[in-house]
Amino acid sequence: MPDALLLLLALLSCVAGMGWFALSMDVHWSQVQGKAPHSPALVKALRLGGAGALLLSLVLCLTVDSPSIAVLVWFMALAGATLAIAFTLTWRASILGMLVFWTGPGAR
Amino acid sequence: MAWLHTWFGLALGLVLMVVFFFGSLSVFDREIDRWAIPDTRFEPQPMPSFDKMLTPIFKEMQPDAAARAMTAPLADGPLPATFDTPRSWGAYTTHRDPVLALFASYEVPNAKDHETAIWALRTVDPRTGELLPVDRLKIGSEFFYPLHYSLTLDWKNVGYWIVGFSALMMLMALVTGVIMHRKIFRELFTFRPNKSTQRSMLDLHNLTGVVALPFHFFFAFTGLVIFAYIYFPITHTQLTPLHDRHEVLESKETGLPHDRAGVAAPIASVDAMVAEAQRRWAAKGMAGDVGFLNLTHVGDANGYVSVYRAGTDRVQLAGEGIHFKAATGELLREDPPPTVVARINEFLTGLHLQHFKHWLLRWLYVLGGLSGAACIATGLFFFVEKRKRQHARQGVSGARVVDALAVTVVTGMLVATLSMLIANRLLPDAMPAGWPLRGAMEKYLFWASWAVAGVHAWWRTAAVAEGRLAPAWREQCLAIAVLAMTAPVLNWITTGDHLLHTIGSGYWPVAGADLFMLAGAALAVLAARKLQQRAARPLAVKNVTLEAGHA
Repeated sequence: MPDALLLLLALLSCVAGMGWFALSMDVHWSQVQGKAPHSPALVKALRLGGAGALLLSLVLCLTVDSPSIAVLVWFMALAGATLAIAFTLTWRASILGMLVFWTGPGAR
Repeated sequence: MAWLHTWFGLALGLVLMVVFFFGSLSVFDREIDRWAIPDTRFEPQPMPSFDKMLTPIFKEMQPDAAARAMTAPLADGPLPATFDTPRSWGAYTTHRDPVLALFASYEVPNAKDHETAIWALRTVDPRTGELLPVDRLKIGSEFFYPLHYSLTLDWKNVGYWIVGFSALMMLMALVTGVIMHRKIFRELFTFRPNKSTQRSMLDLHNLTGVVALPFHFFFAFTGLVIFAYIYFPITHTQLTPLHDRHEVLESKETGLPHDRAGVAAPIASVDAMVAEAQRRWAAKGMAGDVGFLNLTHVGDANGYVSVYRAGTDRVQLAGEGIHFKAATGELLREDPPPTVVARINEFLTGLHLQHFKHWLLRWLYVLGGLSGAACIATGLFFFVEKRKRQHARQGVSGARVVDALAVTVVTGMLVATLSMLIANRLLPDAMPAGWPLRGAMEKYLFWASWAVAGVHAWWRTAAVAEGRLAPAWREQCLAIAVLAMTAPVLNWITTGDHLLHTIGSGYWPVAGADLFMLAGAALAVLAARKLQQRAARPLAVKNVTLEAGHA
C-alpha cells in the first residue's frame, strides 16, 4: 500500500481511537447519544476499542517510517485527533454517533 | 504556583507568542522564501559541481558593506579594500532548497584579535551558476526564522537570552499548569464555547495546552539544548584558555589541522572527494545527498575539505562528516560513530530542526506550534476577562494594558507579517539610490506596520477600561482578512502564479503559502463576525466561579 494511504489510515485510526475514548466518558456520551444507555460493559468496550485504535495507528506509523520519525508522527497525530474530537463535540457532536452506529440513533 | 503561572505567563507569554507563531512559519521557511523571491520558484536542486561552478564564484566573493561595517570596530585602522586570505568556503543546501547558500570567511590582517574573521554571503542558482542579487531577503529563512529564536535582537545576543529565559519559564508554566488544571484526562475533550467567555477561554487554554503537551515540552526543552552553548558560555568567558588548548589537542587527535601552514597549495578536485564521501555513506547503508561542504584553510597546504550528508531520512541531525586533504584529496578522517550523549543530542536537535523529509510531520508541527500560540493567546484573554470588570469598577487600567498588549502580539503580529509580504510584492525591483536595500525596506515595513497595529490596539481598547469587549480585536481581524486576501492577489498580478496555475502544476511551495493565507483570511472574517455578535450582546452579569487554582 502506498505510504500516504497508510498514514491517512493511521490518522483516521487515531481520530476513531480518541473518539471512542471520549464516548467512554458520560458527559461526552450524552452530548452524542443523549439519554441512550451507557452500560459499564459498553464503557469498557469503548475504552478497549480506543486503546486498540491508537495502537493500530502506532503500528501503521511504524510500517511507513523509521521508528524515530514514526513515534513523532504518532504523538503529533494524537494531538491533532484530540483537537478534532474536542471541536467536533462542540460543533456537531452527533457526527460522532457514527463511531457507535451499532447502538442505534441517540435517544434525546 | 498559580501566581507563578499567571505572572510569568503574562510577562513571557508575549514573547512566547512571537516564538510559537514564527516557529510555526519557520517549518515552511524555505517555501516562504520561494513566495518572496519569485526568481527562485523551481524544484530543489542537488549540490552542483564544486570545481566547475562554485570555485570561480568563491574566488570572486567579497564581504559587503554591512559586513565591513560590523567588522570595522574590531580592527586597528581602516579595513583593507579587499580581503585576500580566505579562511573557509562553505556551501549549504537542503532537500527543500532550489538555491544554494555560499559563505566565505576571510582573515582580517589588522584585527585586534587574530581569530576575527569577516564573512561574505551569496546565493547561487545551481542550474546556471547565476548569483541572486544581494538585496533580496529570504523572508522565511532569513527573517521569520531568526525572529523565532532571537527576535532578531542581535546586540550581545540579548534576543537569544530573552527567548531562552522564556523557554525555561515555559517549562515551568507547563508543569504548574498541569498541576493547577488537575483534570487532564477527565476534561481532555472539553470545550464549551457557549458558557461565559472566561470559562470558554480557560477550556481552550487547557485544551490547546494539554493535547500538544509532549510537543510543547520537547520543543521548549530542545530549543534550550540547541543554544546551550550561548546559555552556558563558559568556553568563551572563564575557560577561554582551556577551550583554546582543547581545540589544538582535538585537531591533533583528528588530524584536521588547526592552523594554516603558511605554504600555498592548490586545491585538488573537490567533486572527486564528494563522490568518494557518497561512496562511503552508501557502503554504510545510508546513501544520500550532500548537505554541507566546507573548505578550511583555503589555498594552504594545511587546507582540508569536509563533506557532510543531508540527513533527510532520520530525525537525528547526523552529518556523518568525511574529511579530505584539500591539496591531494587524500582521506584524513571519517567521523566516528557518535557517543551515546552525542546521539541523544543529535536526536533532540534533529527533532526541533527537522531536516527530515516528511510533509505530514511538518504540517503536524505547524499544528503543534499554532496550538501553542492559541494556548498563550487564550491565556492572555483569560487574564483580561477575569479582571476587566473588577478593574473597571476600581478605575485601574491593568486589564486594558494587558488587552492592548495582547491585541498587539496576537493580531498585530499577523498584520505585520502580512504587511511585509505585501511590501515584498509592491516594492520596486531595485530601490532608488539613497534608499535602504529592498530586503532592509521589507524589514522596516514589518516593524512599522507592527507599531501601527500597536498604536491602534492601545487606542481601540479603551472599552476594556469600562469592562467591555475591545473593538480593536474585531478591527484587526478585519485588517488581517483584507491583507491576507491582498497578498495572494498581488502574487498573482506581479508573478502570474495564481492558484489555478500553481496547484495545476503541483508547485506546492507557492500554492501552499497562498492557500494558507486565504484560509487565514476566512478564519479572520469568521472571528470578526463572532466578535461583532458578542459585542452586540448585553453584558453578562453572572460571574461564574472557576477553579480556585486559576488566579
